[in-house]
Amino acid sequence: MAEENVPQQQPAPAPAGARPHGKPSGPVRRGKRSFVRKKKVCRFCVDKADFIDYKKAEILAPFLQERGKILPRRMTGTCARHQRWLTVAIKRAQNIALLPFAAGR
Amino acid sequence: MEERQYDLIFICRPDTPEPDIDKLISTLEHAVAEKGSKIEKTEKWGRKRMAYRVRKLQEGFYVYMVIRSSHGELVKELERRLKVSDPVIKYLTVRLDEELKRQDKLKRIRERRAARRPRKSAPAPTPAPPAAGEQNAATL
Repeated sequence: MAEENVPQQQPAPAPAGARPHGKPSGPVRRGKRSFVRKKKVCRFCVDKADFIDYKKAEILAPFLQERGKILPRRMTGTCARHQRWLTVAIKRAQNIALLPFAAGR
Repeated sequence: MEERQYDLIFICRPDTPEPDIDKLISTLEHAVAEKGSKIEKTEKWGRKRMAYRVRKLQEGFYVYMVIRSSHGELVKELERRLKVSDPVIKYLTVRLDEELKRQDKLKRIRERRAARRPRKSAPAPTPAPPAAGEQNAATL
């Protein structure tokens, strides 16, 4: 068991220097400060949504910034497929004045 | 041409008397019937606050319809009528049948997968009984 642990530890520090992108390799980062980032899950996948209805503005509203911009995937954790459907739905809702293009005032 | 499904939403001025809106709806119904198509449902959502001002109005009376048609010209005709009629301040037609088809497909896949999974966890009862006639169904 002790022998197994040694090779596992070796690759762990390597990616920190090797990664030029600076992206954390996972939700848990080991270093001076270790913290756990909560993994975001696509809300539509949780609900098993096969279709995003543009008529339900109250469902779409949380995916807008307060000025009316669509929130990016990295903020909301939506999966690629559902984000694609979501943007279409939001744009339709905007067209019929259920959602703002740009919230003024 | 195969049948297509459309969502049609239009917004009237909030001060339009309700009979006028009903009249407008019935003229649209006539136009739809003329082309041999049908209205699946008509919903009056009533007065709603719009997300932004349209023609200096902050509120509007929403009407929502679902139309099934195999006649492509119908949408053009309906939109023309809505554009001409005075109380209507905004309208939107969305073709939905392809998305609904996709929804159906995904649903079916999901159901199939859900049906398969419990069979694996409890394998004993199902494989034993199938007779000759039932084997066909199993291979499908």
